[in-house]
Amino acid sequence: MFRRLRPALPAMALMALGAQAAPVDFAHQIVPILREHCTQCHAGDKKKGGLSINTRAELLAGGESGKALVPGSGAKSRLIEAVLSADPDRRMPQKGARLPVEKVNLLRQWIDEGAAWQDGFTFKPPAYEPPLRPRRPVLPPARDGRTHAIDRILDEYATQHRLPRPQPLADEAFARRVHLDLVGLLPEPDALDRFLADTSPDKRARLVRALLAQDTTYAEHWLTFWNDLLRNDYSGTGFITGGRKQITGWLYRALVENKPYDQFVRELIAYSPESEGFAAGIKWRGDVSAGATTEIQFAQSVGQAFLGINLKCASCHDSFIDRWKLDESFGLAAIYATGRLEIHRCDKPVGRTAKASWLFPELGQVDAGAPQPQRLKQLAALMTHPDNGRLTRTIVNRMWHRLMGRGVVHPTDAMQTEPWSHDLLDHLAVHLADQKFDLKQTLELIATSAAYQSHAEVMGADAAERGYQFAGPRAKRLTAEQFVDAVWQITSTAPARHDAPVVRGRASVSAPQDATTTARWIWSHANATRAPAGEVLVARARVNLKSVPLRAGAVVTADNSFALYVNGAAAGASENWESPVALSLAARLKAGTNEIVLVAKNGGAGPNPAGAFFESRIQLAGGETVTVGTDTTWQVTQTVPDNRGRFKTEPADWRPAVAVPDASVWHSSIGRQLGAQLAQAATSPQPMVRASLMKNDFLMRGLGRPHREQIVSVRPSDLTTLEAIDLNNGPLLAARLEQGAAHILAKPWPDADALAHWIFKFALSRSPGPKELASCRDLLGRTPTAQGVADLLWAVLMLPEFQLVR
Amino acid sequence: MKGMPHESPDTRREFLKQLAAAGAATLAMGEPRLRADEGVARPAATADACILLWMAGGMAAPETFDPKRYQPFEKGVPAKNILSTFPSIPTAVDGVRICQGLEHLARVMDRATLIRSAVQPDLGHILHSRHQYHWHTGYVPPQTVACPHLGAWMARVLGPRNPVMPAFINIGQRLEGVGEQEELKAFTTGGFFGSEFGPMNLPYPDDAAQSVRPPKGMEPGRFSNRQKLFRALLDGNPQRDQMSDHQQQSLLRSMENAHRLLSSRERAAFDLTLEPRENFDAYNTGRFGQGCLLARRLVEQGARFVEVTTEYVPFLHWDTHANGHETVARLHRDMDRPIARLVLDLERLGLLDRTLVVIASEFSRDALIEGVPGSNARDQATAPSDTLQEAKHYGLHRHWTGGTSVVLFGGGMKRGYVHGATSDERPLVAVKNPVSVSDLHATLFTAMGISPKTSFDVERRPFYATEDGKGRAVREVFARG
Repeated sequence: MFRRLRPALPAMALMALGAQAAPVDFAHQIVPILREHCTQCHAGDKKKGGLSINTRAELLAGGESGKALVPGSGAKSRLIEAVLSADPDRRMPQKGARLPVEKVNLLRQWIDEGAAWQDGFTFKPPAYEPPLRPRRPVLPPARDGRTHAIDRILDEYATQHRLPRPQPLADEAFARRVHLDLVGLLPEPDALDRFLADTSPDKRARLVRALLAQDTTYAEHWLTFWNDLLRNDYSGTGFITGGRKQITGWLYRALVENKPYDQFVRELIAYSPESEGFAAGIKWRGDVSAGATTEIQFAQSVGQAFLGINLKCASCHDSFIDRWKLDESFGLAAIYATGRLEIHRCDKPVGRTAKASWLFPELGQVDAGAPQPQRLKQLAALMTHPDNGRLTRTIVNRMWHRLMGRGVVHPTDAMQTEPWSHDLLDHLAVHLADQKFDLKQTLELIATSAAYQSHAEVMGADAAERGYQFAGPRAKRLTAEQFVDAVWQITSTAPARHDAPVVRGRASVSAPQDATTTARWIWSHANATRAPAGEVLVARARVNLKSVPLRAGAVVTADNSFALYVNGAAAGASENWESPVALSLAARLKAGTNEIVLVAKNGGAGPNPAGAFFESRIQLAGGETVTVGTDTTWQVTQTVPDNRGRFKTEPADWRPAVAVPDASVWHSSIGRQLGAQLAQAATSPQPMVRASLMKNDFLMRGLGRPHREQIVSVRPSDLTTLEAIDLNNGPLLAARLEQGAAHILAKPWPDADALAHWIFKFALSRSPGPKELASCRDLLGRTPTAQGVADLLWAVLMLPEFQLVR
Repeated sequence: MKGMPHESPDTRREFLKQLAAAGAATLAMGEPRLRADEGVARPAATADACILLWMAGGMAAPETFDPKRYQPFEKGVPAKNILSTFPSIPTAVDGVRICQGLEHLARVMDRATLIRSAVQPDLGHILHSRHQYHWHTGYVPPQTVACPHLGAWMARVLGPRNPVMPAFINIGQRLEGVGEQEELKAFTTGGFFGSEFGPMNLPYPDDAAQSVRPPKGMEPGRFSNRQKLFRALLDGNPQRDQMSDHQQQSLLRSMENAHRLLSSRERAAFDLTLEPRENFDAYNTGRFGQGCLLARRLVEQGARFVEVTTEYVPFLHWDTHANGHETVARLHRDMDRPIARLVLDLERLGLLDRTLVVIASEFSRDALIEGVPGSNARDQATAPSDTLQEAKHYGLHRHWTGGTSVVLFGGGMKRGYVHGATSDERPLVAVKNPVSVSDLHATLFTAMGISPKTSFDVERRPFYATEDGKGRAVREVFARG
């Protein structure tokens, strides 16, 4: 069922192959014939002449005139006789043209070969079609004072299914779960103590809200989920050839600012240069099959991420497992296509051009004749149409899955499946729309329910076989990022620099007001106030750094647009001078000589002011700060570098840049903003660097962080043996534990028990029991050594209790 | 769970049962849901283990196993005259010649099936990483799901041969710090089977022992104490009963498996310093030679699938875009002795009959034409002149997919047999019995007792061991016919 790419054999080789006939392929060759010519009268609920071909068994059973076919003998089969017959009473199909001879031959060969059928395949359309429009369920009355909407629904559910209510969860376990679920970190021992000591009845709800209000911490946790779902990463396939674009900057800010989900989706579909990477997909060099073009990737990504619709089958042929058709996949792809898109069936053109259209025309349709940006806007509007309940159901189901361990619809990418509670799914969905698509509200709604705050289901080995019934949340495995963050938290070994090209935290107007910039606006000549439209400035600075920077914040803008390159790599760009870009350059700068190249372009139709501005504050290891800004020490050239800021040959025409004498035209409107953004990028307080901001490494890959070449909505739930080997002896973890042990020992401890208590409290959010404490004492002795602490850390981190969120 | 005591047939059986249970837990919990197609009959295996010797970067068939007319270097020689830059030498099989430089291999060709007609698709720009992905997974990228490596298929369908030995071991390829590393990682993976079936990566054979040892600097006493502490904490948990469910059990089982390998006697197989000096020297032509030795030691101890690569690094080793002749002469030295020795050692140990050794590469090379005639592939050669002026231009520098050699030893293959042929004049396309990647995989799978039609449901769609289940084993290469 997957697309195929036939080896292009040389002509001579093909001749040699010609003698062998390949067996008939049921899925790709027979299904289309039966579907086109037979199913109108003999499939689904239709059973003309008593014959149904829904399944192989029914087809073999035949109808009123006997068996339809004899496997192994096309010649003796009534089906072949009927499609060949000229007799108006016997011929099939009864109306319309006769089957072409090739098709008859295929059918005959198929029967001769035994009439193989694909296991589980049926022509009968699936019985369940999920509702599209939102539905506001009537909430059942509250029982026993449990007034939370989710609990009202689930208490009613439990009554109907005669299920016991899951037991409530203790404060310690709740605190651990909710911290890990909402912000991805362990509760710090002090914070945990404060929470436990709090006696107010609403302390759990307050904790939920407080966690969700931590913009940066929240964003850097959910970045993992969204990077997986939108297949965004900082390194990976496709980047090497420029066939792929990150959306990191856009995504990070969307999460920090908690962009409403409808707007979030609209900006990913009707993209800007910053969010384009999702729609653009991965463009591979060379030829790809028709089912893997970037247009088809667009259809697949949009379908899967936003609607929980798997269009992978239907990218190649009409799907056998759900209702989606080849033309629908290509229709969605054609919205994105900028040229003519020919429909291919199993990599062969069918002779039709795809017409731009989306999947739910009952809500309206895109105008196929409009230009691409218009079509994308129309799709974005339809996708976020108030009547598109599929969008909200899909995302709230994903949120429910993240927090509760299993979807209301499961798997979460199969939204065509019936939920185990319609009311629950529909309520969550309308609630999101009511809350103006604020996903934090959905998380708060779930996390404040008694259902969330109850014991994890204890599953038997037969869990998969006996159909799902709600019995409390299911334990979730820590993601690779949660595991690594937790290790960094406990051992204070987080890296000082991060890889993701973002300025961390929320850009805030409360950044120091005295933030001043010292750089000058520059251009290539003195007449910058009347620079020709389209004129390009290429400026370069070489910066010598004594050590690798710990941090390097920068702010850049240019009238009208710029691209910045650092050490032969693109570092940032903007099209609008009124929106300066704040950047973190720490990962791009190195000890020794660094090359910064700024390419700016003037806009407009006639002569108008042009200028470019760059300023960076670079913190070095010794505490020294270096400031680098555009000024007359920068050199300019006429030569334009390549798309990584490199010159093929060193330009010979370098001369000093000219400072624009009067920069007030820009400073009056964005001067303060430049200072504030620089201060934020360079000096604002930064919480611990998170694993979500780092490139994938062996440890994280081992713990299930995906390659992100495909969309991943659910990570593997089991620790594998190879991962366990790595946890046992991998150098990355071992090094952190050794360093961490030294950090922990450096703290003042009254005795070894206190140290053991602290490790338990941090890692497991509870104190050790008597037997556990005894084991710790055996290991640590009276005066703990670094080795002892490292081994205790390891043993605790390996516990299922640590590696699962229960 | 109890720790595993020392080996005895009973505990081994017990352990296998537990592994099977681990598989069931994966089915119960895992995403995506996988379901083997039970309806497909397994062919009778002719091999239990497979060693893939991967000539990464494009091994030129005319410079190795399919010599053509030899043309020595002369200043001003027309480039079109060059088919092979090495003269041919006779082998142990009458009438079969291979290239000079492979004298040791020539002596064991009577144990080999030599396929000279392997062909690859033309993917437009002929790019190593895409072809390597295709060769290792059977699917041309990009794909909508993460495709499992050939070794992952063997691990998933057959499981480990010895339960403590990882089923899929990958030797000699660094995945960090080399060009196109992300592209390499994309297929060096268990794919949708999950990392349980993915490779154990051992980039440096002489450092492999470290991968199965306690962490650096941890003496055995401390290592076992640490494990004891772990067990004590598990047992001492006050809420132990509430926490016991099968996700926890599966996690513990993996921890147990890991610890078992790390304290097993089989782990000695990873340690090349334990090999007698004389043997080590016989293999030691560098990392690749050491990798061959490691593969032998691992297979002796029950490894299922081992890949040893000459390592893919853009423009190095087999990726000969300049100095081709000189580079290949060095590669001959790297591969000739160790591969021959591996074959003879396996034979001496009585393992060759049930161990399939495969020499393969993503495509071949040619002195002139890249890809196939009429292809839109870009010309990657840097010396476009019609005549050779410098020795560095002497060699086979352009990618070629029309006819590639694959060598198979043991594992139920015919001995001293040549399958297929390429033209003696340019274009050097397969003119007899072409073997596609899909059919080659079907052959390897069939030898290992896996039907090429084996499928798993992923995202509710069947995904086959060979594309669409259509790979057909090349019957002629099997000794039993």
